[in-house]
Amino acid sequence: MAKKKRSINITLKRMLTWYLSTIILICGLMLVYCWYLSIQIDKRFSGRRWSIPSKVYSDTTILYPGQKINRTLLNEKLRRLGYREVAHKPVNKGELNRSASFIQLYLQNFIVPSRYKEGIPVQIRFDENRIESITNLNIGQMLPILELEPEEVGLFFGPQRERRQLVSIDQIPKQLIYAVLAAEDRRFYTHKGLDPKGILRAIYTNLRHASIRQGGSTITQQLAKNYFLTHKRTFIRKLKELFMSITIEVMYEKNEILEIYLNEIYLGQKASEAINGIGEASFFYFGKPVSNLSLVEAATLAGLIRGPNRYSPYIDQDRCQKRRNMVLNAMFEQGWISDEELKMALVLPVMAVGYASYGKKAPYFMDYLSEQLTLLYSPQDLSSLGLSIYTTLDTQVQMAAENALKRGLDSLEKSNPELYRTDPQKQLQGAVIVMQPKTGYVLAMVGGRNYSVSQFNRITQARRQPGSAFKPFVYLSGLDKFTPASILSNEPRTYEIDGKEWMPQNYAPMTEKRIRMRDALARSINLATVDLAMKVGIDQIIDTVSKFGFSTPIKPYPSIALGSFEVIPLELARAYCPFAADGVLPYPLALKEVLDENDVVMEQRHMSIKQVTTTEKAFIMSSLLQSVVENGTATSLKEMGIAFPVAAKTGTTNDFRDAWFVGYTPEILALIWVGFDDGAFIHASGSKAALPIWAGLLNALPQYVSGGWFRMPPGVVKRVVCSESGQLAVEDRCPHPIEEYFLADHVPEEYCRIHGDQASFGRIIDGIKGFIDKF
Amino acid sequence: MGLKVLLISFKMVIVTCIFGLSMVLSGCAPAVMKSSPAVYGETPREGAGEFEENAEKPGLSPRALAALQLTEQGRMFLEKNQPDDAIGILERALNLNPNNGRNYYYLAEAWLMKWNIGQATEFNRLAEIYLKDDSEWLNRVILQRERIKEQGQ
Repeated sequence: MAKKKRSINITLKRMLTWYLSTIILICGLMLVYCWYLSIQIDKRFSGRRWSIPSKVYSDTTILYPGQKINRTLLNEKLRRLGYREVAHKPVNKGELNRSASFIQLYLQNFIVPSRYKEGIPVQIRFDENRIESITNLNIGQMLPILELEPEEVGLFFGPQRERRQLVSIDQIPKQLIYAVLAAEDRRFYTHKGLDPKGILRAIYTNLRHASIRQGGSTITQQLAKNYFLTHKRTFIRKLKELFMSITIEVMYEKNEILEIYLNEIYLGQKASEAINGIGEASFFYFGKPVSNLSLVEAATLAGLIRGPNRYSPYIDQDRCQKRRNMVLNAMFEQGWISDEELKMALVLPVMAVGYASYGKKAPYFMDYLSEQLTLLYSPQDLSSLGLSIYTTLDTQVQMAAENALKRGLDSLEKSNPELYRTDPQKQLQGAVIVMQPKTGYVLAMVGGRNYSVSQFNRITQARRQPGSAFKPFVYLSGLDKFTPASILSNEPRTYEIDGKEWMPQNYAPMTEKRIRMRDALARSINLATVDLAMKVGIDQIIDTVSKFGFSTPIKPYPSIALGSFEVIPLELARAYCPFAADGVLPYPLALKEVLDENDVVMEQRHMSIKQVTTTEKAFIMSSLLQSVVENGTATSLKEMGIAFPVAAKTGTTNDFRDAWFVGYTPEILALIWVGFDDGAFIHASGSKAALPIWAGLLNALPQYVSGGWFRMPPGVVKRVVCSESGQLAVEDRCPHPIEEYFLADHVPEEYCRIHGDQASFGRIIDGIKGFIDKF
Repeated sequence: MGLKVLLISFKMVIVTCIFGLSMVLSGCAPAVMKSSPAVYGETPREGAGEFEENAEKPGLSPRALAALQLTEQGRMFLEKNQPDDAIGILERALNLNPNNGRNYYYLAEAWLMKWNIGQATEFNRLAEIYLKDDSEWLNRVILQRERIKEQGQ
């Protein structure tokens, strides 16, 4: 019996030992696992917690009294900037009140490098399409200038395509924290990662309502799940979640956990982009920073956590309001809001600001920018470092350029059905670049008709013959030996090139055998241009052109005078800039600044200029190119509403494969190209195909046109010459005297030879008369 | 003949009198007090800025007036020894009003601060073109050119 008892005791002892050992072992294993998890958690949380996409911004927009304005483009701009229309005088930042004669606007704060602008309420009063006055509504003071914030143009996403704006726990208002706790985890500040009471309460509530009304997961559990685990509903995953929650609670303060959670959570969808974190959601739903959220807005956001797309105010307002009111009631139950606050909040409607899901803005410009950025940052850095990238882009110009190109190409196809192609890949193409010639700022870039069909950027990647659009460089080369009044031969000639005969022809038959240089360029006369090129020398032309930044090879053939070599459209546009910029060639500038997520400047780029011709020659070239519009191949501009002074050149290549138009004023330069990618004929000249697009573009941008012209530099003089001989005109003798500009050191000294005999005789008579008068 | 000589002499006397009178009158005209423009790096500029100095000038377009605001902001950045910020603003001013020579002057100044002699020289040259009719500013431009040369050596 005693033996049996001892045996039982031994068995019990063994069992106990085994049991205790197992428990110790399990506890040990759990500890080791928690230690392993803590390393993982520390590794993730101590480094960069989120990948924040870098944002690309346009330039700021300047408004001033007296400025002509396209109100449609301005209204669209304000809408894209997130200003929301109200029916009263704006009282909150981002509000806008519009009438026929004014806009009242409460400006939003913004930061651009080295400048912080505090939002103020302003009134912009219009006199039709002109800004009459801008008033600071706070103090009633007139403002001489107003700067609107840069517009977000695009993001460099990682594979997740998540939008996120980080906020610190100090920036989050208490009522939002209470709302989140009421909705998700009421005992957050008292439990240790798990909340058994919460689980029981959730089970009870869900049973009572016979539906899933509450979840049992704590905020820490949700964080562990979102940050480290998958969303699979498995036992192992749940177990991991528990261990991870406990580990996180041990490692971090409650506020730290809450801050990470609020920045992490998924809160909705903007087209293909996920809205993550309370900071981004605050702007997405209410157009304001998280610190400015009202009680009802805070409760709405907290309500979204359960099901962002189910309770989204953009999807179902009623459902959103019911969910929000549940959160408000929970807040009241916890004593976090008063009875009065609850009653007032419950009756308020859900007021989300709305958003427009735009397609990719300025996609060709973005590609051009990306090429430059990838030389500075890796794609990984761009999609994760949360950089702010400021550019020269003007979204109003971009919109106008896109619209003008679309309308122009549609109209061409309509007027000539032969140009229409059913295959979108083969359809008629066009491209536009708009620059500021003095600084090289790229204001807009449209590299093709439809980015989704073709991403080939015809502004930066295409190589096309410029045709007559190249002629100005021939004339510039000739200014050392010739003047705008020089007479050129317009007779057909045969040139021998590499043993082959080349016989250039004019666009249309002409009877004039001699033509003035100004007229030859204005009317884009091929024979006269080749005559000039041969007199100047092809080497001299190549020497001049080589300074203008063309990267494509230029071979020394006489046909270069007619633009027979290929150019990149961006480089052609840039090469015209010196004519509008005192002879200075600017570097095309798209990227201005890159700031890190703490707004510290990492990269800053400025205009960079290089003198490539003299100011005097640049002025004369602008004057010559003005003649193209006044009485040359671009006179139709006037019929299209262009009433201000413009210098321009049309271009058409052999067999009508390419149509060009480059035009500028002192403030803006735009190049238009139209053609087929495969080089098919477009059956239209530059003045028919490209010019109307330029006119449409400039008509939409009154804010860029001052109506002024270039100042005559000191080294340029004006003389009256005979239009037939190009020599100094003799008063009352030459039938068609005209005023002409000359380089001061290259002024004609001889009087008109054509009317010379009469002139000499006349001068003798005048001399005798004068002599007699003296006595 | 004698009558003709007398007539010519009379004309000359009249012309000389008018010329002399105009010279005397111009000498008696009240002197207009102008603040002497300072050269950066030599004397700090005080008093009215670009905008205040020019806002009342007749004939200035609204565009030019708005550009002056930016020029003034650029000048202030230069005073704070922030050439990069000054350049950013002055470029905008230039785009708005390419005819204001002071933008080129200040841009030259900013590039000089950044020790970029090439760009400073280019902008100084442009400043000279646009400020040729303003003797006071032209003088500053010439002094600036000398400083650029000195710094470049």
